[in-house]
Amino acid sequence: MSTDAGARHRDHAEALRAAVAGDTGVTETSLRTAVSARAAGGPPTNGPYDTLARQIGEASYQVTDAEVEAVRQAVGSDKAAFEIVMSACIGAGLTRWDAAARAIEEATDAPA
Amino acid sequence: MRLPEIERGDSLRSRALIRIISMALGARLPDAARVAFYHKDFVGPVLGAWTQDAMRGPSEWSVAERELMAAMVAKWNSCPFCVGAHRAIAVRGMDNAVADACLTDYHTAPISEGLRATLAVLETMTLHPDQLKAAQAQAAIAAGATRQQLTDAAAVAALFNIITRYANALDFAIPTDAEFEKAAAMMLKRGYA
Repeated sequence: MSTDAGARHRDHAEALRAAVAGDTGVTETSLRTAVSARAAGGPPTNGPYDTLARQIGEASYQVTDAEVEAVRQAVGSDKAAFEIVMSACIGAGLTRWDAAARAIEEATDAPA
Repeated sequence: MRLPEIERGDSLRSRALIRIISMALGARLPDAARVAFYHKDFVGPVLGAWTQDAMRGPSEWSVAERELMAAMVAKWNSCPFCVGAHRAIAVRGMDNAVADACLTDYHTAPISEGLRATLAVLETMTLHPDQLKAAQAQAAIAAGATRQQLTDAAAVAALFNIITRYANALDFAIPTDAEFEKAAAMMLKRGYA
């Protein structure tokens, strides 16, 4: 994307992608990136993480208490469960950003 | 709220902030703000900076139009918290009837053709991202949206495809209409960062 707005938002998007995969979390980076990819429509991951990430990606309004609690039990704290939830949400959001950025970049200014 | 530590706050400072802002607001601090105060070593500051830039930074869209886009994404993602919160901010800068017509059916709402075609892009991006093609972006440009406007709108939609998901997954408490009003005034004054 060649506009200033494009560069600005692209920088924010990449910073967010890097934050999910960074070293400031209490959970393993590989778990966060797997969950993020799963919510973006990527390959299955393990057990309760897979169920929650898929649900967040496809229909977050159908997430249940039990799905969040299963992840909280697996990771051992609210803070770690929060990281899993956020990683999934960001994966779903950034895959949409990528799709839109591509479509806008490929669009011409000529009438459709 | 499904993770109680987020509701309580994870430090003395965040617990004090929750208490003080709730008192100043005259209402329970909405769960969205509690998430923003929580585990700030992780993604929160980066997400907050992008949200502030997309929603309050330079753009050819008004603040009200961007807030309406946020409410529309929330509608498509079935997130009642974000519909209520962002409709309440949008109507401080646009007619209630226009915002509500848009939320009912943007295809027939009294809005510009550029905004209508941009909302069509955002709807596809939200519900069927794999089907979003250059032709739809091109149609929005032909309808009067600039490439920069489309990019700004896509950033708003990307962010609210994140925010609506955690609002739903964490089961945010739904404020009353009066509480949404109070929070809207605060969000216009203080922003998202």
